[in-house]
Amino acid sequence: MIEIRELRCAFGGVVALDGVSLALGEGERRAVIGPNGAGKTTLINTLAGEIQPTGGAVRLAGQDITRLRAWQRARLGLAHVYQRTELFSPLSARENVALAVAARRGPYRIFGAPPRAESAEADAMLARVGLAGREAVAVRALSHGERRQLELAVALAQRPRVLLLDEPTAGMSPLETARITELVAGLDRTLTILIVEHDMDVVFRLADRVTVLHEGRVIADGTAADVRGDMRVHDVYLGKAVSVA
Amino acid sequence: MKPLVRGALVGAAAAALVTFPYWSAPWASRFATTLIRDALILAIFALSLDLLVGRAGMPSLGHAAFFGAGAYAAGIASQRLGTDQLPVTLGAAALVAAVLALVIGILVVRSEGIFFLMLTLALAQIVFAIAFQWTAVTGGSNGLAGVGRPTLAGFDFSAPDAMYALVAITFVATALVVWGVVRSPYGLALIGVRENERRMRALGYDTARLRLSAFVLAGTIAGIAGALSAYSTRFVSAQDAGLGNSVRAFVTVLVGGAGTLGGPVVGSALVSLIERIVPSLLPPDLRISEAILGLVFIAFVLFARQGMVGLGTHAWLRVRRR
Repeated sequence: MIEIRELRCAFGGVVALDGVSLALGEGERRAVIGPNGAGKTTLINTLAGEIQPTGGAVRLAGQDITRLRAWQRARLGLAHVYQRTELFSPLSARENVALAVAARRGPYRIFGAPPRAESAEADAMLARVGLAGREAVAVRALSHGERRQLELAVALAQRPRVLLLDEPTAGMSPLETARITELVAGLDRTLTILIVEHDMDVVFRLADRVTVLHEGRVIADGTAADVRGDMRVHDVYLGKAVSVA
Repeated sequence: MKPLVRGALVGAAAAALVTFPYWSAPWASRFATTLIRDALILAIFALSLDLLVGRAGMPSLGHAAFFGAGAYAAGIASQRLGTDQLPVTLGAAALVAAVLALVIGILVVRSEGIFFLMLTLALAQIVFAIAFQWTAVTGGSNGLAGVGRPTLAGFDFSAPDAMYALVAITFVATALVVWGVVRSPYGLALIGVRENERRMRALGYDTARLRLSAFVLAGTIAGIAGALSAYSTRFVSAQDAGLGNSVRAFVTVLVGGAGTLGGPVVGSALVSLIERIVPSLLPPDLRISEAILGLVFIAFVLFARQGMVGLGTHAWLRVRRR
């Protein structure tokens, strides 16, 4: 579904991605882990089209999207949940989701109220992420955890083929983390998911395969069990995380 | 039933506004009709600017370029083509303003905030300079005098009351169009662009094109306001496209309340009163109405960012809480 070949990304002298190759089949759930500065968020942002790579190629369902802009990739079925909440703060939860629903139907419907079906679809999506009853609340009045749930609702309302999740549980309480994890685990199995996450419980609950990034390179790639047993991974990252957990 | 009641109220208010000169004749002077006419033209102009400033988050300080383009286009079309047909002269105004907004828009929509403000200001000054110096077409510093008032299907708008009615009908139509646009999916998308352009791109919106479309829509409506001004005063001045006129629209929007439908309208009423009534209350050699307008503007920026509509809403909420 998504294929990354020899992706390179440098900011001045700093090489954030140094020839990363990855391939995700349709419906695959892949976690990318690694220490801070490994290039995980750069990888997600490059896939989403927010950063232009300095080399390499990205294909989505066989189509080369390396040079496409973020909005064109979104139209092709790529949805992005940011590490830091990126929402429309004076608008209600319903309106935030409605913008994602309306994006699929084209923005140039310049006259008259949006069709009722669209706000019904937005409400259904909010109920799915556990925000039923909060539809009319403005984003700025929502709690941090609720905003993360809303982020997910907005991304799902795009009806994506590939979902890019950049630390979806960042800053959440254990209860909220568990709720979001189960929510993602319960998503349609045909949806391809690439998730960057620090919480190893979340990673091993969700991912079919795990890729470990270190200093912009893939140093391990395999099933969750393989990666758990890989000594190099323990050295750079897991050892620390496991001992904390 | 409630939307029906509201619709009836709006319809009644619109009818009362359009027929103002007829039912006010026993007690109001001719001057009142002229004052309201000019305030309504300013309101159309400010409603168009608010689509940019209040909705899409594009603070244009060059909106008079399109007002001026519409005024010149209507005046020149009527003189060169020798016609007073409303569809021809008003159509020319809308078309010329739209094309100019497309050209300027392509140059400015990728910049934001203060850069957008300065770019729109600079490009509008070029339009002003062309209007001021291209004497053969625009009349240059003398302006374009003797603009004809239009006719439509045999109906002549040259009498003052008929001219007023044309302005009032256009105002009502513009307010309805803007109301329809801001509650549409497109209107919500403009607010999305204002609030978080990055996220809008991630949702699949071509935000540069959205901003450009808003710029062209607002420019077109400003051009229509310019044409109404040319008909009303029978005159087009280069100042119509100048910085002073851009600032006037901007002040109107902010004093009234940006991002609201009522804001540009009540703002235009206040600005018109300060421009027209205050000088008549002061000694004739004391020309300080612009300074007063400036002070009012500063007061709103410092103490009431939400404008008159914001103040009114706030007061209403306080009354209701008791």
